[in-house]
This record gives sequence, C-alpha cells and structure tokens, in this order.
Amino acid sequence: MKENIKQEFMEVVGKDRSLHRTEELSCYAYDAFVAEAMPDLVLFPKTTQEVSAIMKTASRYKVPVTGRGAGTSICGAPVPARHGVVVCFSKMDEIIEVNTRDRYVIVQPGVVNGDLQRALAPFGFFYPPDPGSMEVSTIGGNVAQNAGGLRCLKYGVTADYVLGMKVVLASGKAVRFGSRNVKDVTGYRISELFCGSEGTLGLMTEVTLKVVPLPETTRTLMVTFNHLDDTAKSVSDIIGAGIIPTAMELLDKMTMNAIEDSANLGLPRNAAGSLLIEVDGVKEACDREIEKIIQKVRDNHAADIQVAETKPEQDRLWTARRSAYGVFAKLAPDIVTEDVTVPVSKVPEMIRNIEAIAEKHDLTMGVLAHAGDGNMHPLAPTDRTDKDHWRRVELAFKEIFEAAAALGGTLSGEHGIGIAKAPYLGLVMDKDSIEFMSVIKKAVDPDNLLNPGKFV
Amino acid sequence: MSRTTLQNCGRCGLCLSACPVYKVLKEEHASPRARLKLIQAYKNKTLPTSPVLQELVSKCLMCGRCAAMCPSGINHYGKFMEMRREMAAAHGDKIEIRSLVFMLAREYRLRAAAGVARIGRGLLPASFQKKSRLGNIPLDRFPRFPGKPLRETLPEEIPPQGTERGTVVYFTGCATNHLFADTGHASVRVLTAMGYRVRIPEGQTCCALPMLFHGAADQAGNSIQTNIQALGAAEDDPILVDCATCGAALKKEYPLLCDTLHLDSDVVAGIAARVSHITPFVLDHMDELDFPAADTALKVTSHTPCHRKHGFGGEDVVARLLKQTPGVDYRPAPDAEECCGGGGTFFYEYPEISKKMVDKKVASARTTGADIWVTDCPVCRINLAGNLDGESSMRVIHPLELIDMQLGRS
Repeated sequence: MKENIKQEFMEVVGKDRSLHRTEELSCYAYDAFVAEAMPDLVLFPKTTQEVSAIMKTASRYKVPVTGRGAGTSICGAPVPARHGVVVCFSKMDEIIEVNTRDRYVIVQPGVVNGDLQRALAPFGFFYPPDPGSMEVSTIGGNVAQNAGGLRCLKYGVTADYVLGMKVVLASGKAVRFGSRNVKDVTGYRISELFCGSEGTLGLMTEVTLKVVPLPETTRTLMVTFNHLDDTAKSVSDIIGAGIIPTAMELLDKMTMNAIEDSANLGLPRNAAGSLLIEVDGVKEACDREIEKIIQKVRDNHAADIQVAETKPEQDRLWTARRSAYGVFAKLAPDIVTEDVTVPVSKVPEMIRNIEAIAEKHDLTMGVLAHAGDGNMHPLAPTDRTDKDHWRRVELAFKEIFEAAAALGGTLSGEHGIGIAKAPYLGLVMDKDSIEFMSVIKKAVDPDNLLNPGKFV
Repeated sequence: MSRTTLQNCGRCGLCLSACPVYKVLKEEHASPRARLKLIQAYKNKTLPTSPVLQELVSKCLMCGRCAAMCPSGINHYGKFMEMRREMAAAHGDKIEIRSLVFMLAREYRLRAAAGVARIGRGLLPASFQKKSRLGNIPLDRFPRFPGKPLRETLPEEIPPQGTERGTVVYFTGCATNHLFADTGHASVRVLTAMGYRVRIPEGQTCCALPMLFHGAADQAGNSIQTNIQALGAAEDDPILVDCATCGAALKKEYPLLCDTLHLDSDVVAGIAARVSHITPFVLDHMDELDFPAADTALKVTSHTPCHRKHGFGGEDVVARLLKQTPGVDYRPAPDAEECCGGGGTFFYEYPEISKKMVDKKVASARTTGADIWVTDCPVCRINLAGNLDGESSMRVIHPLELIDMQLGRS
C-alpha cells in the first residue's frame, strides 16, 4: 500500500489507534485457524463515522478491508487474505442501552459476549448464544460468524437474537436494518443475512439484540451407554416427550478414555458414549423433566445415570465435557477441530464414520457432539511440522466433510466457512445457490473490497 | 508424530480473557497469544530482533494468568522470561531498570541504595514529594524506608516463647528487609508466639525473580547461588516466605534453572520441597495461637497477589485465615482475585495501563467498607497503598501484621 494512502487511513482514527509496524501487524495476521496473511495497516475505530470514513477511503483507492473482533474464529474468517486494512472493533466496546422492559440491548460490535452477560445478570436477564469463546469473543464476531454454543439446542443461535443493526456499506454509507421489535416484517430481513456473512457484505457498527429472562433453576444429569445408537434414540425420545433440554452433550469412547487418562474422573472406560443433559426453567418443571428423562434413558438401556443434586455436583458432571478440548490439545503439539453437522438421528452413524476415517488414516480422533442439534466436533491432535501426519489429517477432514454431506448434513454448524472450508462448499451447495450468493455480494460490494478471498 | 515436541500455541485466544493488560488495552498485540506468536517468528528467523519487538514482549505483568488457563498447557512464563533475556541482551533496558537489576544483584548495593533513599527522602521537600510520581504512584504515598534494614535489627536466631515446637527458617526477601520491616517483626512475633524458633540465615539475598523478569540471567545466577548456600545448610526445617514472588522463585523457578545455571538439582529440590508461604503455615497452626477477646471487630478486605494464585499455586488462603481470625469482620471484594497492575516494575514502566487496573481495585475495596486491606505481596502493597487517595483511612498491610495486631502485641 502506498505511503500517502496509509497516511490518509491513519488520519481517520489518529496515530494512537493505527498500527503500521511489521511486528504489530503480524499480530493481526491470524485467528485460531492455520492460515495467515499480513495486513498493511490495522485501524481501531471508535465510531460509525470513523468506520464510514475508512470505507470511503478504501473505496476510493480500492483497498481490501477485513473486519476483526477478538480473533477467536476457527476458520480464518478475520484473516486478511488479500492484505489491505484490518478494521479491529475491539475498542468499540460500549453497551449503548440495556432495556429489559422491552427485552432488548443495543451494543457496539466490540462488546465481549461475557461482559454483556455480566451487564444483564443484575436485571435477571441473559443473552443465550454461548460460544466456547464467549469470555473473549465479541458480539460483532459472534454475529458475523452466526455463533452457536451449548445452550442453542433450546434457545437457538445468534441469528435468532439479532433484531437490527447499523452497518457501514462498502461505499462508506451507513444504513440501518431491522428495529427493536421482535415482530418486524417491514421489508427484507437483512439483519439475518448479515449473520454468518463473515464481514463480506458490510461492517456492523451497532447491533440490537433480543435478551431473555434468566431461568429460575438448572438441573443436570450424566448418562452413559454401551451402544451409540441408544444415545441417539434417547435424544429423540426425550425431545419427542416434549422436553427441550438446554444442552445434550455427547462424548464418545475415545474422548472419555482420553479424559480418564489425564484427569481420572471415574468415567467408565468401556462405555460407547455418554450424554450430559441439562434442563432449565421453573424448579417444579425441571424436577418433572428430570424424572421423565431418567425414564427415557432407562428405556434405552442406560448403563449408568448420575443426577446432580447440588451446584458442586453439577460442576463435577460438567468437568469431563469442559476439560475435553484441553485434554486433546495436550496430546500433541497442535490440535484441529471442525464442526460438521448432521440430522440428529444420524449422529451415531456419523461418529462411526469418523472412527473409520481416523482408523484408515492412522489418526487419533475424539468426538464431542452437541447431540441435541447434531453439531459435532471431531478433535484431531497433530503436529504441523510432521508433513505426513498433517497431510493425513487434511485428508481425513476432507472425508469427514464428504461423509457429513452424504448424510444430509452440512459443513459447519457454528464456526463458519472462512478460508478453512471454502474449498468444500460444493459438497453441500449446488452451483446455482453459490452463484446466488455471488450475485448478492456483487450487488453490495462490486469492487470486492470487504473480506475478499473467502467463501464468496 | 513425535511426542517429544513442545506444545504449540493453537491460537484459540482464550488467554486474552485472562490477560489483565489485554483487558485494559483491547489490543491483540498486547496479548499473551501475540507474544507467543512474536517469539515464534523471532525463533524461526522470520522476524528480526528490534526495539519494537522488545517492547511488545515486555508489556506484560508476568502474572502467569495465561499459563494457568491455557488449554494446551503452554509455559508462557518460561518462554517470556527467555525472550526478555534475549531482548535485554540485544537492546539493553531502560536505565532505571538496569540500575534496579544492578542494585538487586548484590546485597551490599541494595543496602546502600536503601540508605541513600532514606536520606534522599528526608531531604526532599514535602510539596515536591506530593507532586512527583514514580510510575503511577505519587512519591509521598511511596512506603517510607525504615530506620534500619530488618535483618540488621534482629539476631540470626530468635528463641520461641513458651514450649518449643520446632524451628523454621525465614527467607525475608528484599522488600521485607528494606521496605516493610514491620511485616518481618510481626512475622517473627507470630511465629515465636506459636512456639517456633526462627532462624534468619545470614547471607540470604534477593530471590532473583525480578532480575530474571528483566532478562538479567547472569546477575540472577549469582543471587540464586548465594541463596542456595544460605538455605541449603539448614537441614529439614521448613523455609517460610512472606512474599509470593520469593515463594514462586524458590519453589518453581530455581528447579527449572538447574541445568542453565549448573545447580545441584538435589539441593535445589530439597529447598523447593521445604518452602511454604507463611500465610498457609500460620493458618495450619491457628490453634497454637491464643487470641485475647476482642470487643470490636476490624473490618478487613483482601487482595490476592497473582504470584500466589498463579505462580505459587494454591487457593486463596488469606480469605480462610481472615474468616478464622477472632475479631475480624471479613468483607470480601468481588474482584479480590483480579490483578492490581503492580507487576514488579510494570506500574513504573506502564503507568497508564496500571492506573486503570488499580483504580478499579481501589473503588471496589472501598465499597466493602473495610478499614484494612491485606495482601501478601510487597509490590501489590506498594501499588494499592500508593493509589489510595490522601483522605482514605484504609491501610494496606500484610496478613501477618493483622494476626500480630489481633494477638494484641503491637
């Protein structure tokens, strides 16, 4: 990028909110995915006006612009594949309005998900999407990736909570979509189109989110099974009985054994899988739901059932699930995780597919699954410097994507496409559907300035 | 796939939520993840050494929170320390930091410096002291140097009161010796009241951790050797520290440095096994203390030093100690475990960042209504006390001073 153009960009936000030295720039070349690309400039705007001025300059000189929150994406979404300017929203982190009477909040994109939860808790409210990165990831990033989380089974994903937004378009013009109303069919629901758009359509500078009251109580139980099919049958029987748990987390045999190896929690080593189930709501209702769940899992040959009666017991049951990622991360220098999603009834078949693929490529792989919504996380410990091992991991994941597609599943349930899965889009979308996305992209960003080099 | 390779940073970014500096600045280039990335780029020779690189790697409190929560189990602490050493060797350090390292490296220099500071402070007009700042702290709120260093006012061995229960070795650290002699006297009174003979070995010196943080490995090596000699001879008696950083040094850092510094690993492991923090030691022996009945309760809140929680390990024993001490109305602050921004010399090098952190702590401690704020780290103590405003009646002391007060001895 030419020096005079850099200067013009830097004048928008001032020197102390611009980065141009290599050492600093290199810290914005990555997220949690393996690919990297250096930006030419990093800017930290604080207002919509500044974002607008940045985009006007970018349009004038045809400079690529990639938005970034906290950089916890696992698919390369905020990596500036075509270089140019990274617009980092982390300092634009004000909660503009909390209105629990009308059940909405208005936030700037850099607000951290966990900070929003802490701001809502005193009012007895919460914002349901809870990605694993919630203590660091920003609302802007959550919306751009349409983030999910454990409790999305009951409450839905980010897109279900976005009521409206202010967006700066490629031209630099600022526009508003949606409103503060839960019911709103005034024109296209464009806010929803922005959920999962990964910064390719515009830069959000303000988001209005729906919030909901905190449940009175939560109850947790953990069940182990000797046959994988019984887990899936239990999941559909429980939901079929009219109970929608907040979470139904499945750990496969490999994962339970890896956790036992490192933490010794007393998980049964021979079980085929376990389900961690949590319900929330009014206390009496939760108690009844727990009873019904116990009955359903018994009908499906549960090998062992543990019901938490106290908060510490609840935490103890969650320990296995919470430690799973760390356990796998410590098995080898690197770890790769994906988030293919299949219809709920196909979860056991998909797990068997993953096991077979891992065996074929001589890899260790564990599976964590949000069993209630079919969203699965195969975990593969690896070593990027070991070329042969890395190649086998890449091959295995390609086959996992193909297997998910064959079962009527999809590439990503909550992480997004980014750079990681762009090559596999054709597995789950036909040519015309991909073309339709390009048509939209070209209409709003004809010069392909917004996060170029990604899935569209 | 080789199993011996070191863990790589998976760049998950979870450490950002633990990093006090990131939380203030909201800048990736000031995060633990970025520091690891920069260190890796430097090692791979894709990024040459530079003053900018040094600054990015050093803008860190060395609080250890990132390492404590890393899912991949990366030793950020060791990597940062090594990189700081390389950067200091390549680019030097600020003159003030170099002087600090020079001073800490030899006990006699430290003594001389404390003496000069004592006199200097006496000569400075009060109005000047009020206006001038050392980092984020106004000079007149800096602790006063005691008349004489602690160890010069105490014999090498102090006999117990009443029945003798055993002997403990007291490693006083620089801060208690030169700045907070009151903590030292209180500790000795509490330990002897419990029936312990207290040995304060001559020849002990700075634990060397501050020097290691500033990349001064050679100077640190000398001090470490000196301390091993002073402590190694003392048989099996427990070694007590009143500073979490000294504790982390003796217990965790010395054993890691055996190869580099050619230390006798058996002796070092022996010392490490004997080291305890004085606060849990007293907590374990509370029934050996006889507290007089108190008619009014002292309102007390606490601050947990990062090096006790994340460097030295263990739960928040101060909270338990306060709950068990008669005549104490313990009022926990919701953010008692958050970093205060002291971080060794961090408050001096990055006063704007540090100030934001400490102001939050002070505001929250105030809301508890406590009159006494206890913490068992000298730097936290300087930083917290230095940032209370003039009108505040709150005092910051070491928990042992509180125990001593409650025993009715001072």
